[in-house]
Amino acid sequence: MRNLLNFFKRYNNVIIFLILEGIALSLLASGNSYHNTRLIKGIRGITAGIEKSFSRTASYFRLRETEMNLARENAMLRNLLEQAGKMRDNSFSTVTDSVYRQKYLWFSAEVINNSVNRRKNFLTLDKGYNDDLAPDMAVIADDAVAGVIVGCSSNYSVAMSLLNTDFRLSARIRSNGYFGSLSWDGKSYRHAVLNDIPQHVTVVAGDTVETTGYSAIFPEGLMIGVIDEIERSGSDFYRISVALKADFKKLRFVNLAGNLQKTEQQNLETQFQ
Amino acid sequence: MINRILRYTLIFVLLIFLQLFLFNNIQFSGYVNPYVYIMFIMLLPFDISSWLLLFLSFLTGFVIDVFSGTPGMHTSATVAAGFVRPWVLRLISTRGDYEFVSEPSLRIYGFKWFLIYTLVIVFIHHFFLFYLEVFRLTDFFTTFLRVLISTLFSVVFIVLLEYIRRGK
Repeated sequence: MRNLLNFFKRYNNVIIFLILEGIALSLLASGNSYHNTRLIKGIRGITAGIEKSFSRTASYFRLRETEMNLARENAMLRNLLEQAGKMRDNSFSTVTDSVYRQKYLWFSAEVINNSVNRRKNFLTLDKGYNDDLAPDMAVIADDAVAGVIVGCSSNYSVAMSLLNTDFRLSARIRSNGYFGSLSWDGKSYRHAVLNDIPQHVTVVAGDTVETTGYSAIFPEGLMIGVIDEIERSGSDFYRISVALKADFKKLRFVNLAGNLQKTEQQNLETQFQ
Repeated sequence: MINRILRYTLIFVLLIFLQLFLFNNIQFSGYVNPYVYIMFIMLLPFDISSWLLLFLSFLTGFVIDVFSGTPGMHTSATVAAGFVRPWVLRLISTRGDYEFVSEPSLRIYGFKWFLIYTLVIVFIHHFFLFYLEVFRLTDFFTTFLRVLISTLFSVVFIVLLEYIRRGK
């Protein structure tokens, strides 16, 4: 107590000064609208900065959810696009059956297991029959071919990755329309090989390689990659190395396209084979 | 004692009048705003207790604020000036202690001493005042220039007033 009193005695002028200065400054802040606004603005500037960094951190944690929502929305928009396109094509048709209107049905899914280093790579997706997924649906990542579903359970699907030596895909060069067969040689996860392009065709490195739609699995004109190297083998055909557009090492959200007219097409085709 | 209180009251009223009706109307290009009322705080006797000094400083600033419609601005500056006055006096003392009955004046302590004393106190007061007025640190040097120029003018006027007071 005595120490406290001594303290007050010693610093009484400092204390009085602080009290009077405090009164003066509070008068300044409350009496002058200019100083008042400046003060409020300054305080708000500080708190706004803190709040901003807080919300930025929070949004980072919500990123996964946001990404999922976006993927879902993308699938929905693609459905709309398909519908619109087909409706325009059949503008003279009176058939209103949804099968004729819409050729592909789009879904989104998340890749929960993936590999690129084996010769036969598969993807596992987090959706299955319960989510209307079925075998033979196309798996599309970054707007490019990623694989095809080979089996489903009620909640999961397994897709054969493009990086599988058993995978065969009908592909064509966009600039000239020549088509060949695309497969993976099991070497680099960034490259696949396009065969069966005859050597009389002019092929330029950098040309886009896209799907043909002959298989009735992939929509037509979907990008696969760009031509990287052209090799003249001993046969009549080129051996073209294609740089893949999809980066299989960072596959996360993929889109799935199911062809609604696939059975119809195949049934018709088998009648003549 | 009564005599002394009357004298200081007179000085106070005179300086406030001078400030409000003469010097507040000098506004040369926005850079020159002399504030001479601070002289009252400077002239208070040496033996004044520090709390009374602070209260009188507060009162001076408050009166000026009330009349010029700037609540708190002059008050904070005068309280700061009153707070540093004892230290300034100790720092610039020329021949040991001051005579305790006397007051700071040009006649007793000489022109040089009075000039330094005025410069320091006025500068501190103006520094506080002008920075509180703009209340931001952007244009720091513009404000500083205003502080310097106004300090110069205030010092000149205060020294002149001190000569007049001596002649009286």
